[in-house]
Amino acid sequence: MTGFRLDKGGLIDRKAPLYFTFDGRAFTGFAGDTLASALISNDVHLMGRSFKYHRPRGVISAGSSEPNALVELREGARKEANTRATMIELHDGLVAKSQNHWPSLEFDIGALNSLASAMFVAGFYYKTFMWPKSFWEKIYEPIIRKAAGLGNASKEADPDKYEKAYAHCDLLVVGSGPAGLIAALMAARSGARIILADESSTLGGSLLNENEEIGGMSGHAWAIGVIGELGSKSNVTLMPRTTIFGWYDDNIFGAVERVNDHVLEPSPYEPRQRYWRIMAKRAVMATGAEERPIVFGGNDVPGVMTAGALRTYANRYAAAAGKSVVVFTNNNSGYRTARDMNAHGVHVEVIIDSRKEPNVDAGGVPVIRGGAIVNVRGGKRVSGVELADHRMIPCDAVAMSGGWSPIVNLMCHRGAKPKWDERIAGFVPPDVGDRFVAAGSAAGRMLLSECLADGARAGTLKGKTPAIPKCRDEAFAVTPLWWVKESTGKAFVDYQNDSTAKDLPLAAQEGYRDIELAKRYTTAGMATDQGKLGNVNAIAILAEATGRTMDQVGTTTFRPYYTPVSFGAIAGPFVGHHFQPVRKTPLHDWADELGAVFVETGLWMRSSWFPQAGEDWLASASREVLATRERVGLCDVSTLGKIDVQGKDAAEFLNRLYCNTFSTLDVGKARYGLMLREDGIVFDDGTTSRLAADHFLMTTTTANAARVMSHMEFCHQAHWPELDVQYVSVTEQWAQMAIAGPKARATLQKIVDKVTLDDTGFPYLAAKEISILGGMTARLFRISFSGEHAYELAVPADYGNLVARSIMQAGEEFGITPYGIEALSIMRIEKGHVAGGELNGTTTAGDLGLGKMMSSKKDYIGRMMAAREGLTDKNRQCVVGIRPFDAADKIRAGSHILKKEDAPSMAADQGYISSVAWSPMLNMWLGLALLSNGRERHGEVVKIFDGVRKIHMFGVICDPMQYDRENKKLHA
Amino acid sequence: MLIKCPHCGTRPVEEFTFNGDASIQRPTSNDPATMDQWFDYVYLRDNPKGRFDEYAHHSSGCRAWLVVTRDTQTHEIFNVVTARDYAKKRVAS
Amino acid sequence: MPDNFQRVSPLADIAIQGRFGADHGAPGVTLSVRHPVLIATVIARKGKAKALADALKSWRGATVQWAGAEQYFLLDKPFDEVRKKLEGLASCSDQSHGRVIIRIEGPKVRQVLCKGTPVDLHESGFEIGKSALTQMAHVGVHLTRVGRDAFELSVFRGFSESFWEWLTEKAEEFGYQVI
Ligand SMILES: [Zn+2]
Repeated sequence: MTGFRLDKGGLIDRKAPLYFTFDGRAFTGFAGDTLASALISNDVHLMGRSFKYHRPRGVISAGSSEPNALVELREGARKEANTRATMIELHDGLVAKSQNHWPSLEFDIGALNSLASAMFVAGFYYKTFMWPKSFWEKIYEPIIRKAAGLGNASKEADPDKYEKAYAHCDLLVVGSGPAGLIAALMAARSGARIILADESSTLGGSLLNENEEIGGMSGHAWAIGVIGELGSKSNVTLMPRTTIFGWYDDNIFGAVERVNDHVLEPSPYEPRQRYWRIMAKRAVMATGAEERPIVFGGNDVPGVMTAGALRTYANRYAAAAGKSVVVFTNNNSGYRTARDMNAHGVHVEVIIDSRKEPNVDAGGVPVIRGGAIVNVRGGKRVSGVELADHRMIPCDAVAMSGGWSPIVNLMCHRGAKPKWDERIAGFVPPDVGDRFVAAGSAAGRMLLSECLADGARAGTLKGKTPAIPKCRDEAFAVTPLWWVKESTGKAFVDYQNDSTAKDLPLAAQEGYRDIELAKRYTTAGMATDQGKLGNVNAIAILAEATGRTMDQVGTTTFRPYYTPVSFGAIAGPFVGHHFQPVRKTPLHDWADELGAVFVETGLWMRSSWFPQAGEDWLASASREVLATRERVGLCDVSTLGKIDVQGKDAAEFLNRLYCNTFSTLDVGKARYGLMLREDGIVFDDGTTSRLAADHFLMTTTTANAARVMSHMEFCHQAHWPELDVQYVSVTEQWAQMAIAGPKARATLQKIVDKVTLDDTGFPYLAAKEISILGGMTARLFRISFSGEHAYELAVPADYGNLVARSIMQAGEEFGITPYGIEALSIMRIEKGHVAGGELNGTTTAGDLGLGKMMSSKKDYIGRMMAAREGLTDKNRQCVVGIRPFDAADKIRAGSHILKKEDAPSMAADQGYISSVAWSPMLNMWLGLALLSNGRERHGEVVKIFDGVRKIHMFGVICDPMQYDRENKKLHA
Repeated sequence: MLIKCPHCGTRPVEEFTFNGDASIQRPTSNDPATMDQWFDYVYLRDNPKGRFDEYAHHSSGCRAWLVVTRDTQTHEIFNVVTARDYAKKRVAS
Repeated sequence: MPDNFQRVSPLADIAIQGRFGADHGAPGVTLSVRHPVLIATVIARKGKAKALADALKSWRGATVQWAGAEQYFLLDKPFDEVRKKLEGLASCSDQSHGRVIIRIEGPKVRQVLCKGTPVDLHESGFEIGKSALTQMAHVGVHLTRVGRDAFELSVFRGFSESFWEWLTEKAEEFGYQVI
C-alpha cells in the first residue's frame, strides 16, 4: 500500500463518509473529496489507459487540465464518458468506470501497441492508411476507432434537463483564487454588479490547495472571510461549479454551470447543467497558472504527477499519493511540495533540481543539483527513478515541476496571441483593452503579494486602489528544462494523445514546422484536454528542433470551449417536445372534438383530415371533398397571415407591394393580389380587402406570413419612409373559417344577423363587417379557394370554437362536414389554383398564368426585373393541368415530363409535376405541372417519368382548371 | 456581438436578421434604359473589408429595420441608425 | 359590442390553479392569466407621434405599454372607444383576442425570466412601467414590468400554451403557484 489518507488536515468532512464504486470495487471517501482524491487515498492510482499505446495511466493533475484520469461516470442513460476524475465531486452512490481498455484496466490487450510503438510514430495514420481509399472507410477507420477510443457514450436518451440563461454584470471575475477574490471584493464594495465564477465546487482557487498566509491568517481562512462578505451582498452573484468556457465579441462570456453534476440524480425540478451567456461591462481573467510536467522517460507511470497536484491532494484532500516521494523540478515549486509533504509526515526522498545553483529552503530534504530523471521504473505504479548518472532511487511517487504557464486561453479566444515572457518562462496574455484584463498569476505575476495587488487594481472600477493585506511570498525562480534528452524510457509530451518527445523533431524533419501543422501531425494538443499540460513543452521542443524562439514558433489557436461542454448544455431545453414551440389555432379544440388529425405546417398545427371509423387519410379527404362539393363543408383557415394596413397612403403602399392595383378597390370588396420579389419571381399571394378608404386587411399564405411582414417593414422603412402607412399582424386576433359548398349560403344565413346573403346583399368578393348570432361582430368575405360558392368568416379568436360549433349546428340539416387541408388541397388542384408547389421561388406571374395581373401603370416591387428576357421567354415552364392517359394510372408529384417519344435525359426534360391529388369528382389522379411552353400544349400526350421508381406512363396536358371549368358553382 | 437598437437598447445579435449592403439604393425609374442600374441593385454586392453599412432587422424585438455600421474584420460597431433615418438622410444629401 | 358571449381563454384548461414544482417554503413565483383583457395596437400616423403620446398620457383608466417605435399596446379600453378617441392620431387594431397576457410575480421572477430573455431586467435599468419586445424560448414576448417583482408577459395567442409550458417548467425549481 502506498497511497493513503492522512490522519488529519484537509478540507474534507471526515464525519461525512461517502460510498462509491470504481470498476465495480467499493470504496469510501469523504465529503469534499474528488473522485481522484478518494481513489488516491484508497491507494488506487491506475485510473485509465492511454489513447494509442494503452499504457497504464494515473492522475497527473488536481484540476480541469487532467489528461489521464478520464472515466465513465454514472451508468445507464446518465452515463457520461471522458469525465475527469479530478473534477468529479465525490457523492454517495457514485459509480465510475475506467475506459479505453479491453478486457480490463489491469490487463489490456491494446497495450501490445506499445511494443509495436516504432510503428506508431507521428503521422503514422497518414502514412500507413493512405491507400487504397476505400479501405480507409471500411476497414482501417473502424478498427482504429475501436482500438483507440476514449469512453463510450450512453445510447439511451438523457433523462435530465438542461437550461439556458442570460446574465448581466458590471464586472465578471473569472477565477476565485487570491487575485479573483480581491478583485471581486474591491468591485463589490463599490456597489457594482459582480459575478464571481469558478470551475471548482468551492471558491478559493489556489488558497484551498496551498499553505499561504494573508493578513495574519491562513490563506484559506482569509478566503472564507472574503467569500462571506461577497455572499452577503445583494450586488454579488457567486457562481461556483461554473466554467467560463469562452470569450466572445462585445465582452460576452459563455459559461456552463454544473448545477447537479455533484448529486446522484438531479431533483426533477432542476436542470443538470445551465448554459449561461454573460454580458459583462468589464471582466477580469484571474484564472491562475497551470504547472507543467517535465518531459522525461516514464513521466507517465502512475504515481508521477505535478508537484502542485501532489501537495494539493495532501493539503486540500488529506490524500497522500505515496509514502516515499521524489521531487524533480526546474523551479521552486518542487521545494514547496517537499516542505508540505514533510509537514504532513510523508517522507521525501530527494529533490532533483535541474538547476546547478538553486537557492531555496529544502526543509532538510537532500537536493541533487543539476540532476535529471532519465527513466521511471514501474508499470502500473512507480517503484523508483533512474538518474542521468545511473543512480537508482526507490520511491512510490514522483512530483515533477517544469514551471508554470499562465492560463491565458480566454483572452486569446478572439484571435490575439500570447507573448513569451523569459522571466517566468511562460506565455503571458495579450493586451486586449481595458474591458478584459488579466490579474494575478494568469497575468504572469507569480508572487502572492503581486497577485493580491494586481487583483485589487483590476477590481477597482473607480478611484484609488485600496491597500492590500500583508502576505507571505514564496520566491519564484525557474530555469527552463523541457526535455531530458538522455531519457531511456518513453518521454511523453502530450499524455492524452501519447505524443512523445521524439515525435516533434520528426514532424519538423518531415516539414511540419508550423506549430499548427505539427499539432495535427503529431496530435499533440488535441482531444479533450487540448494540451493544457503539454503544449508549452511541445512548442519548446519544436523551437529547439527548428532553431527558433518560443515567440517565433508561437502557440496554436486558442478556441472555445476551454473545457469540454456537453451537448445537453448546448441544446438546452430545446429538445424533443420542446424542440420548437407549437402554435395552435383558435379552432383547435373544435377540430380536436371532431377527431381531426393535425399536421405541422411551420409551427402551426393544422387540422389535416377528419377521419371516420375505418377511414385512411385518402378516404377521409375524399369524403370531405364530396360532402363540400355536394352539400357544405367547414374548414379552419385561421393560419392565413392577416395584416391590418392603415393610413392615408395604405392604398399606395399596397400598389407598390403587389403587382396588381389596389387603389381602385372599392370599400367593402376583396381582391386577389400577387406579390413579386425584386428579382421578378413570385413571392406570395392572397386576398386583400378594403374595409375603409384608409384601411385594408391583407391576407398572406400561411408559410409566408412572417416573411411578408418583414418585407413590408423593409420596403416601407428603407425604400419609402415618406408613406403614411401603419400595419400590424392581426393573424391571431381572428378565428377564420371557410364555409364552402352549394349549401354554404343557406347555412350561414341561419347565423348571420340582418344581412341577406344573396348576390345583391352580399355579392362575390364582398368583404364586410357584419353581425352574427344576435350581436357578435364578425367579418365576412365572399371568396373561394375550393371553387365552390364559399365564404370566409372571421370572428374574434376567443369565440372561435363557439362559432364553429354554431355553424356545424346550423349546417346539420344540410349535412355539413368539417374538412381539413388535405381536402382543401384536392379541391384547389381540381380548380387549378396555384399554391406552394407552384409558388416555389422559381415561377413568374406569367408562368402561373397570372401575367395579366402585372400592372404597367405603376412602379412595384419586381416590375423591372420581371420584364427581363429570360423571365418572359415563351419556352419557360408554365402551369398546366395534367392527368394520366390511362385513367387508372397514378401520377406522382416530382415526376418529370418528356415528349412522348423521348427517353429520359436532362436534355429531353420538358418540366415536372408540381402537385397531384386524387380527385373524387373526376375519379382519377390529376395534377398541376410546370411545362415548357405549356399553354400551347393543352391536349398533347406526354411521357411522365418517375425517376425515383424508374417507371413511366403517359399523360395528357390540359387546362389547369379541370373541374367545373365554367365556374358555375362559384357563382351559383 | 451586441447591437444597440435605437428603440430597444443593447441586444445580442441573435435577435437580428440581416439583409446586406445598405448603401445601395433602389432605383426609382422604370425606364428600360435603366436596366443596368436594376441589375446592379438586385444582384451586385461588394464584400468590403472594413467599414460596412448593413441592414439589420430587429426581428425578435421592435421589428425596426436598422442600418448597422461595423468593421467586418473586427466586428467593432461604429453606429446604428434606423433604416428610416438612413433613407431620409440619403434623400437629403 | 355587448359582451354577451363567453370569451374562452386558450389557457382555460392549461393554467390550472395550485402549487407546483419544488415545494419547500413560499413559492418563488406566482403566475396568473389576465383574461379576458382588452388590448389594442395603436401606431402613430405620420407626424403624429408626439400628439399620440400626449393623448395617451392624459387618458385616464387606460394602460399604455410601449410596443415599438411610435407604437403602443393600449389596455383596458374597449376597442371602439380607442378608435374614436385616437381618430387621426393613430391606426388602431384590436388585439384583445390575439394576445395572451401572463402575469408573473415573486422574489424569483428575474431568475425565471433570465432563462428566456437577454434583456437586462435589473431594476436599475428596467424600472416599473418599462416594456421590452424580446424573444423567449423562440416565442416573441412583449414584457412589461408592473411591479418591483412583477412582470406581464404578452404572447401571441397561438403560442400561449407552448409558452406556458416552457415558463412553468423554468419556474419549477423555485416552486410556483398558479392563481
Ligand atoms: Zn429594437
